[in-house]
Order: sequence, then structure tokens, then C-alpha cells
Amino acid sequence: MTATLKNILTGKNSRQGLWILPLIIVVIGFVSLSVSTEDFATSQNLSNLLKQAMPLIIVAIGQMIVILLGGMDLSVGSMISLTTALLAIDAPAVVTIPLVVVAAVMVGFINGFSVVRLNVHPIIATLSMQFIVLGVAKLIRPVAGGSVPEFLVQWVNGTIFGVSTVFLLTPIVILIGWKLIHGSRYGLHLFAIGGGAAEGQEDAAHNFGISDRRNIIVAYICSALFAALAGAFLAGRIASGDPNVGTIFALDSVTAVAIGGTQLSGGIGGLHGTLIGALLMALLSNGMNLANLSAFLQGSIKGGILLLVVALQSRKKMGL
Amino acid sequence: MKLTLNPMFSSLLRVPPAYFVFAALFVTLWVTKPQLMNVNVMGVFVRQVAPLGILVLGQLLVMRVRSIDLSGAGVLLIVNYMMSSGIMGDIHVLFYIPLALLLGLIVGLVNGYLIGRRRVSAVIATLAVTTILAGIVQFFASGKPPGAMPDFYNDIYNTKIWIFPSPVAFWIVLTVLMSVFLSRFVFGRYVASIGENPTAAHFSGVPVERTVIIAHVMASVIASIAALVQSSSIAVGSIRVGLEMPIDAVAATILGGVVFGRGEGGVWGPFFGVLCFALLFVVMTSFGVPEPGKLIARGLIILLAAILYGMRAAKS
Repeated sequence: MTATLKNILTGKNSRQGLWILPLIIVVIGFVSLSVSTEDFATSQNLSNLLKQAMPLIIVAIGQMIVILLGGMDLSVGSMISLTTALLAIDAPAVVTIPLVVVAAVMVGFINGFSVVRLNVHPIIATLSMQFIVLGVAKLIRPVAGGSVPEFLVQWVNGTIFGVSTVFLLTPIVILIGWKLIHGSRYGLHLFAIGGGAAEGQEDAAHNFGISDRRNIIVAYICSALFAALAGAFLAGRIASGDPNVGTIFALDSVTAVAIGGTQLSGGIGGLHGTLIGALLMALLSNGMNLANLSAFLQGSIKGGILLLVVALQSRKKMGL
Repeated sequence: MKLTLNPMFSSLLRVPPAYFVFAALFVTLWVTKPQLMNVNVMGVFVRQVAPLGILVLGQLLVMRVRSIDLSGAGVLLIVNYMMSSGIMGDIHVLFYIPLALLLGLIVGLVNGYLIGRRRVSAVIATLAVTTILAGIVQFFASGKPPGAMPDFYNDIYNTKIWIFPSPVAFWIVLTVLMSVFLSRFVFGRYVASIGENPTAAHFSGVPVERTVIIAHVMASVIASIAALVQSSSIAVGSIRVGLEMPIDAVAATILGGVVFGRGEGGVWGPFFGVLCFALLFVVMTSFGVPEPGKLIARGLIILLAAILYGMRAAKS
């Protein structure tokens, strides 16, 4: 009995990884915050919480697709910055929005191509892409400024039938992510390729007739597109372009995915875990602000929780 | 894609990219700015990258055992803060050295335990350690920059041994020591065999776990030495969190021909990788390249170096 309980709690033998423990932490945090501070459980604060969590949720879904394959995309932060910079150039929305999509597909393709065809380690490929994309973003917009298309600002900050649009946009994005990862053949292929990579059998999926190279390239393109979507959302929220706005997302997205129980060696994880991870991150900063905790310690506490959760996971591979 | 390379080209691919990049940058600088080509000017530029060069010695060790260490940023920050804030009270300036080494040892043991024993992903573990250390430093400093560094270290930093500035000489000595350590000791063989194939190493009786832990402890202790050198290069402490140093260290290591698991570049490849960064800095500053251009150039160099290596691995 205790062994079964321990297996469930530490996510052993689970294809979804360790997600129950983070969920318990989220629930405990939620309950204790709504009991201790009366400002927490207001609809105003909850809508704020979701607005804070929304970009991270979107990026984390994209990041998770890549991590499921045993890769990692560190260029998402710069992609977000580039998106806000592109949206804020002095051009109509019919020009800028296709431009963002093209840029995202290009960045994702170069990442995927370097990893698959040119045999570059994913961390190195996306790390160098992070510098290049950030450089391009800073060429377009050296300092924060400009104005993004008006409808985007209204979309993100407005209400539909008295409900904040975030409450409607979030389920749509989650549904797309769910369809992609858990509801399609492509999702199954992701798990197959990642599962092989985690066991050191990189060609396992290939030998079963899965076109792994194409799927990996598509995964990096998806990750860049999700990052662009998050960038559009952020651009709408801050109503301008900012080349530094995305920087923290590169690591925060990996953190959210890892907290949610997805294993970085690939093949194990679930969308619900990633959502819990992203919510936990948002809840932490929101709750610590309400509890008047020093802003400087928040990073330490986030890091500590990440270490705790990751150290509890069982993993075979050592190193990266 | 089937890459067909002629033998001449494929044997050139065996040489770490750092040597080519170094030669190219050196010639560019020689032709365009000959007035910069004297020992004193170059000494100043190379002196700036000495902390990076020392950090690389640890980085190449962990990358050889298929791991990575990004906790150097945290070690740098906390050593820097410890020396400049006066938080340790009125202690003798020399005490900072054992204190810094102790900090490096503790961080290294935490990294080693998490990565070697708990099998945590090295990227996540060392990044989390950096965020924790950065948070602690910022909490103590409450966001304000700390005070001045002790003059003692800055005075040593400005001395010269023959034509080499002291930090550069120190860096070269450490590199020689590391090179001897990796080529003449059993530990070096362990590192090489784990890099080639951890499973095979395990079944050949190599203590994989212990070697990975020791590599991480050494990397963090080396990072604390780099932090001491870096702290002595600045007059006033800083609490700015930046991952540039460890990421540049990873880049220089790759440029020098040491990729996760494979170590053809040895210790001197990454050494020249760091020198490339010094020259690149000079070239771009003297041509007035703005910050975005520097970012793009840095990214392109890392990517091209990695692609060169990837093509080689795909062939063999």
C-alpha cells in the first residue's frame, strides 16, 4: 500500500511523470492564500493571476513539445521579444502578423534543421539562435516603444459578455495544445521519439516507421509558433514593443515544464502537468507579493521548489 | 542528407574551430588595425578574459563527462558580494580566498549530489542553484550595489610577470595544470571513457557516479577561483545577475573542440576559444559594431562551430 502510494507520489512508472505532488502544492497554496489573505480570492486578483500566467502557459506548451522529444528550446524568450518588436513596427496589422508567423517558422525550422540534419546538440543550437534572434529584435527595436495594432490591445485587455477575454482565450490555447499532444497521431509520435531518446535508442522510433526527422523539425516550429503567440499576447498587454520582455521566459518555461513532471530526457510528461507547473509559477509570485515577501527571495524560493520537485523524479540518464 | 566530403576537408574538420577563428581574427586585426598589435595593448584585452578562461577549465571538465555547469554565475555573484559588501566583518583580506574556495566546494557538492546521485538534469540543477544564490545575494543587498572591493586584490591584478599581466599568467599556469591532470592521471582516463560511452565505462569498472561528482566539485571550485580573479578586476562590487559568463564559457569550450562527451580539443582548444572571444571583442569594438551586431556574431560563431563538429560526427 505504502509502496503504491509512494509510486504515485513520485510519479514512478507513470507516462505522465510526477504531476500529483505539484498539484497538491498548488491546491495547498491556493487554499492557504484564500484563507490567509482576503485579497486573493477576488475575481479581480484571479483574473490578474491568469493574465500573469497566460504567456507562460502558452510558451510552456510549446516548450513541452520539444522537451518531450528530449530536446530543449532556449530561443523561445528571444522569439517573444522579436514578436513584440515586429508587431510594433510602423506598419498595418496585415503586414506585421504574417511577418511574425514567417519569422517564427523560420526560427523553428533553423533550430530543427540544425538539430536533425546538422547534428548539433539542441541546447547549443537553440542557445546560439537565442543570441541571433535577440540581436535581430534589438536591431528592429533598440529600446522599448512603438505601438502595436489597436485590436490586439483590445482583445487582450477587453471583456466579452462581461467576462475577461483571458478566461476565453486560455481554454482555446489549452485545447489546441491538448489536441496536438494527447489527441493526435503527431502527439503519439512525439512520445515514441522521446521515449527512444531517453533510453539511448535514438533510432527506435525511426525503426518503427515514424518519420522522426520531420516530426522533430515540426516540433521546433510549433515551439517557435507558440512563443510567437505568447509574444502577441504580451505585446497586447504592454501595448508596445520591448526587446527585453521575453528574456526570462526561456528559463521560466523550462522550469514550468520541469515542475509539471515532464522529464527533460524526453518521452514522459503530460499537458496537465505543464499547466500545473505554469500555474504554480504564477501562484508563487502572486502569493508572495500578497504575503509581502521580499521580491528578491522569490527567485530563491522558485529555484528551491524546482530543485525539490526535480530531485524527487526518477531518471535513468545522468548529465544533461 | 548524405555529406560527401573530400579527405582534405574532413581532416581539416578534425582541428578545433577555435584555431581557424583565432587565425582569421588575428589576421583581420593585423591588417586593419596594426597599431593595436603590441604586447601592452593585447595584454589589456587578454587580461579581461582571464576569469572567463579560468571558468572554461571547469566547464570543459564537466562537458567531457556529458554534463554542463551553469552555476558559475551564482558562484561569481556570491563571491563578488562577499568580498565587496563587508558582510564578513573585519577579517584579513587573505581570508576571502579560503572562504571563496569553501563556497565553491559547497556549491560543487550540491551540484554533484543532484546530478550524479539524484540524476537531475544538469541544466536544471545548475540553473536552479544560480537562481537560489542570486536570490540570496539580492535579498542581503536589498537591490542596492555593495561597496568597494579590497584594494589588495586589485593591486595584484594590475601587476605584471615579464610581459604577461598576472591574471593571464595565472590563467596559463592553471591551464597547464589542468592539461597535465587530464593527460597524466587516471582521473583523466575516467573522464575520457565516460565521455565516449557512459554505459561501457560503467561496465568496464569506471566509477561513473563518483567521477561525475568530482568533476562538478572541481568545476565549482574552479568557478570560485575565476570569481576571485573577476572580483579583483573590478573596483566596486556589483549584484547584477548575468548568465553571460557561463554561457560564454560553454561557447568557448565548444569553439575549442570540446562538445558534450567528446574532447578532441583537449585543454588548449578551449584556451584558444577564449582568446577568440577576446579578439572578437577587440575587432567588433574597433569597427564600431553595435550591441545587436555583437549578439548576432556571437550566436553565429557558436552555431557554425557546432555545425562543423556535428558534420564531423555525422560522418564517423
